[in-house]
Amino acid sequence: MRKFIIKVNGNSYEVEVEEVGAVKEVSIPVAQVATPSPAPTSAPSPAPTPAPKAAEPKVEKKEVVVSPGQEVIEAPMPGNIWKIEVKEGDSVKAGDVLLILEAMKMENEIVAPRDGVVASINTTEGAQVNTGDKLVVLD
Amino acid sequence: MKEKIQQLLDAEKKIKLGGGEERIAKQHKSGKLTARERINLLFDEGSFVELDKFVEHRCTNFGMEKVKAPADGVVTGYGTVNGRLVFAFAQDFTVLGGSLGEMHASKICKVQDMALKMGAPIIGFNDSGGARIQEGVDALSGYGKIFYRNTIASGSIPQISVIMGPSAGGAVYSPALTDFIFMVENTSRMFITGPQVIKSVTGQEVSQEELGGASTHNKVSGVAHFMDKTEEECIERIKELLSFLPSNNLEDAPAFETGDSINRIEEGLNEIVPVNPNKPYDMKEVIKLIADNGYFFEVHEYFAQNIITGFIRLNGKPVGVVANQPRILAGCLDINASDKAARFIRTCDAFNIPLLNLVDVPGFLPGVEQEYGGIIRHGAKMLYAYSEATVPKVTLIIRKAYGGAYLAMCSKDLGADQVFAWPNAEIAVMGPDGAANIIFKKDIENSDNPIETRQEKINEYRNTIASPYIAAQRGFVDDVLVPSTTRPRLISAFEMLESKRESRPAKKHGNMPL
Repeated sequence: MRKFIIKVNGNSYEVEVEEVGAVKEVSIPVAQVATPSPAPTSAPSPAPTPAPKAAEPKVEKKEVVVSPGQEVIEAPMPGNIWKIEVKEGDSVKAGDVLLILEAMKMENEIVAPRDGVVASINTTEGAQVNTGDKLVVLD
Repeated sequence: MKEKIQQLLDAEKKIKLGGGEERIAKQHKSGKLTARERINLLFDEGSFVELDKFVEHRCTNFGMEKVKAPADGVVTGYGTVNGRLVFAFAQDFTVLGGSLGEMHASKICKVQDMALKMGAPIIGFNDSGGARIQEGVDALSGYGKIFYRNTIASGSIPQISVIMGPSAGGAVYSPALTDFIFMVENTSRMFITGPQVIKSVTGQEVSQEELGGASTHNKVSGVAHFMDKTEEECIERIKELLSFLPSNNLEDAPAFETGDSINRIEEGLNEIVPVNPNKPYDMKEVIKLIADNGYFFEVHEYFAQNIITGFIRLNGKPVGVVANQPRILAGCLDINASDKAARFIRTCDAFNIPLLNLVDVPGFLPGVEQEYGGIIRHGAKMLYAYSEATVPKVTLIIRKAYGGAYLAMCSKDLGADQVFAWPNAEIAVMGPDGAANIIFKKDIENSDNPIETRQEKINEYRNTIASPYIAAQRGFVDDVLVPSTTRPRLISAFEMLESKRESRPAKKHGNMPL
């Protein structure tokens, strides 16, 4: 379950999004997002404020887009991100610690599988992650 | 007579050339050695004796009667490796693509039968396009006969498969039935259905290397045990593996004088485990500090790295090591780790290699994927394999040993002959944090300062229950060791256990969960 704050016409709505099935290598067609949904139907989503326009939240699940040649480091098991040791743009060597995942009462070091540059970090300290969540993308 | 001798020599010369110089050059160009070159690298110089070199195929379909296939595309024979008898077959890709027909298969079967009769290891070099289609069901029958012999010989003699080219379709199952599979980067391929079939059926596009290369089978599928960059390095590694294995199940693995003192006190072991139980460390360092000359020959190095399997020598004698790796997945047992460990335990038990189990396990890996994937039936393999094993079993609890995973790592109750623990070991049903929350639920709820009370109770639990002394009081742990004295103590334990004899009720075979 992930929470997003969505602003529609200046009103912000808190939206919860649940990932139902893992989709591999999703690249979201941008055009679809741009189309504003008129959605006159009453909101089926449990948005806290009754908002006619907040129906069917057109929220991008923050999908990690991976281009060829990049490598995704996924969470090997469920746990909490305890510490992030790198920043976007950092050069790392194979074996360098990228972040520390606290799971099973262990501070598990998630290390770079190869040399590279950190293209993006897709998690935050304290975040709860599941097996397979994409944490870091390496160029 | 002179003429006859010359005829013989000429014929032999021609057979030795396999598919001819042109095809040999092509083989070299693709980064591969020929079957005979591989054999020569493996065996002690001049020791290899070829069998059945005059065998030819009997196929007359589709113009095959005109096709000459020297040695029918496979070199078989015997020789010595470091002075010990070994049998081998090597498929010759330069002859009809190493394809397997009736006579090709019967040559392999013959050498398999001989290896089993003589009680010596057999090594198979696989480099074949698959079944010789012209021979139809005769070729299929050939595979079946090889599989059958692989199975019958399993556990009697070490069987090693080396993939040095394609091995596709049914051909993969002979290697899969053997004890160890070696692969070489970029030239080895193993798959049941190739990329083209996969594409036409499922639409997925995948390259041969991605689908069935050395890296895939060593890291992802766990089908292969070893991976090397070149064929030469691969063959060196095979020789080394052989040095840890007996020739058959009635012998002991060879012992060598390694020159390392059996009384070596290793101060480094006192420092290696972090004081904070949540900090990981590299279990391989522990293994190396214990082993003769710090040498560890790892098996399945790249697969399920949360458990480590491999061979060391203690006082010169081979010992199989199964160890949790706290650095990977917190050292949890999961489906792949259970499969890997169970397989290794049974390999050691079959070949009289004692087992050393190094325990630092927080438990089985939680997760829906694990439960859906059948962690129950996979984890059961470890319990089964340890309980069934009659070789000397010594367990050393280095840090955490919790719940079912404590039992699965060869506790006293699964038949460990000796169980040792280091003084910081935590042996309990569950970790202090979780346990304190349950046992002291009321105390914590009723406290004015729940956070502090909780911490107190966690410490109380850690100090009283989760120590090695409770287990030692009950005899589940035979002794608590100063870590630096581990090596001499392990050597003494294995020496004491050398004459161990343990029998099981007579039966056809157990019903291992698979």
